Amino acid sequence: MNQKYCWNRDEIGQPDCPMVGVGDEELPVSKQQRRLEICGECPAFVNDLKQLNAENNPIAPLLTDLLNENRRQKTQIQSLVSFLDNKTLEMRFLHELGSVLQSSVDLDEVLSVALTAITAGKGFGMNRAFLLLCDRAAGILGGHLGIGPSNWDEASLVWGEIVQNDLNLQAMAQNFRQNKLSSERAKFHDLLEKLSVPIANKEHIFIKALDGGRPVMVHGAFQHPDVPLEMARLLGVDSFLLLPLISRNRRIGMIIADNCITNRAITEEDMHSIETFAFPVAFAIERASLYDKLQVELNRVTEAGKKLKEQQELIVRMENMALVGRITSSIAHSVRNPLMIIGGFARSMLKNSQASDPKRTFIESIIAETHQLEGVLDEILNYSDSLYPTRDFWDVNQLIEATLRDTADALTSLGYATGYSPGHDLPTVYIDYKQLSYCLRTLLQNDINSIGSDLSIAISSISVEGSVIIRIQDRSRHISQTELDHLLIPFSETRDLGVGLGLALCKTMLDKQGILFTAVANEHNGIHYSITLPTSKEEQP
Amino acid sequence: MSRLLVVDDEANIRLLYAEELKDEGYDVVTAASSAEAAEKLQNGTFDLAVLDIKLKNESGIDLLQKLVKERHEMPVILCSAFSCYKDDFSAWLADGYVVKSGDLAELKHEIARVLARKAQKAKGERI
Repeated sequence: MNQKYCWNRDEIGQPDCPMVGVGDEELPVSKQQRRLEICGECPAFVNDLKQLNAENNPIAPLLTDLLNENRRQKTQIQSLVSFLDNKTLEMRFLHELGSVLQSSVDLDEVLSVALTAITAGKGFGMNRAFLLLCDRAAGILGGHLGIGPSNWDEASLVWGEIVQNDLNLQAMAQNFRQNKLSSERAKFHDLLEKLSVPIANKEHIFIKALDGGRPVMVHGAFQHPDVPLEMARLLGVDSFLLLPLISRNRRIGMIIADNCITNRAITEEDMHSIETFAFPVAFAIERASLYDKLQVELNRVTEAGKKLKEQQELIVRMENMALVGRITSSIAHSVRNPLMIIGGFARSMLKNSQASDPKRTFIESIIAETHQLEGVLDEILNYSDSLYPTRDFWDVNQLIEATLRDTADALTSLGYATGYSPGHDLPTVYIDYKQLSYCLRTLLQNDINSIGSDLSIAISSISVEGSVIIRIQDRSRHISQTELDHLLIPFSETRDLGVGLGLALCKTMLDKQGILFTAVANEHNGIHYSITLPTSKEEQP
Repeated sequence: MSRLLVVDDEANIRLLYAEELKDEGYDVVTAASSAEAAEKLQNGTFDLAVLDIKLKNESGIDLLQKLVKERHEMPVILCSAFSCYKDDFSAWLADGYVVKSGDLAELKHEIARVLARKAQKAKGERI
């Protein structure tokens, strides 16, 4: 009996059993394992069992029951193994997703990862997904990003690429962000705008799902009482999944996912799987948004710090300038009075001395030197004044005409002829009137030597593209450009103090007001000055 | 002969002004402070005052305001080391303004101008 039935032998030869395959090397020598795993399905055993039944062997029904139970349990185990495999894959995917989400604080990257995870075959394998974000300020749940093919052709292409490239989630998301994000935004722009819903619209299914904080599976969207028909038409699918994104009781947004291409039914299992990923996504989106806001605030603080530093430097500079002001004020009193007394008495002595008095030359020298020192003092005081420009809007023609009136006597006595061509309808200019007046007087009366034969000065004003330009053509003073450039540097040579220093002061004053000043010298034709005055405050430094 | 009151805290400046202005034919009285000026004004009449803006511990502008209030018929010429006072609103009360210089020509010119205007005004009032 034992040797008659192969299933009852302790050992069998491998060629004797049709059920033993490659990798089943242990089964021929292990009777118990062989019986449990393969004998029940073997045609030889089934025949033997039929024969035992025919012989009314009482063990036959028991064996049949045991065989059926063994089959049932095998099927259940296979099902459980399959479920376990799926869950393992899902856990691995969620782990990968969590790792990627946790490592990113860039909102676009987080969104790319989230939507890629929803639609990737390795992920939840939905065809299409939309992300809506809560805008609390505007009070809407607004469409933000979409991902997915529009038709079968595009789907075949995209899914083919994915299979071919065999990328992990991070690589897929990176690829999406770099190559697809902009085009997907553009593709779904109109649809995303129309998907926006006011948060106050509590009857809308999106807001209901958001307030409920649980995923909602929508079937029969076109007939669904809570889905506006327009919304169903917009999505173009009968079934979709709403996945609210909630982080720390804060409503972050919503993901809408569907299978618009394959029309594969969305199962409860799909919904539960996707639900597990809602929290890390919501948390990552919130964290990235907060990081964005933090970055903005940080930039503001940095900018404020920079401005504060500039202000501090400005205050230090102003304190320095104030110090210069106080020093010059002190100089004015401590130097002006003695100079005046020396010069005054020297003049008095000169007036009362005989023409033949040999000491007259000395007195004249004292007068000349004190006069020059008074000139230097004036320049220093004017320089001090130039540190504090007080700007306002003024009429250029009035400024020039007043300056010409002030200087008329002095220029006429020197034989000068001046001509002014005023510009018409000139806008007012934003300047320090006193300083500009000083500059014009200085340019007209400057003490540059080398006087030519043509003692004429032509002045004109003209409006040019938001500015007013004053041009002064002085044909009398002939010097080289090098000499003129030298005169435009304040206090460049102490021995020349009081000679041509006014020009340097003019340049300093105008520079401080952000006014363009050019002086072009021609040794034969004189000097051409150009002053470009701003007509608005914005042009000021 | 016009009678002038010169107020300056510098003795040498007072001396210079007195000498030079006497040469121009004016009767010159000097004062070193507001108090001394007030005393001189109480004891006599003046056709014009020449006033330094910065006296030792006082402001010439304050004295100017006092003079304009109490002696409005007497013109005042301000003298200063600063040219910027010309643009100072508080100095506008003065009839003239001169930046201090060893060359007193401008001051003499300004005194003559202000006195001539005063004379013209008085003549106009009489007519």
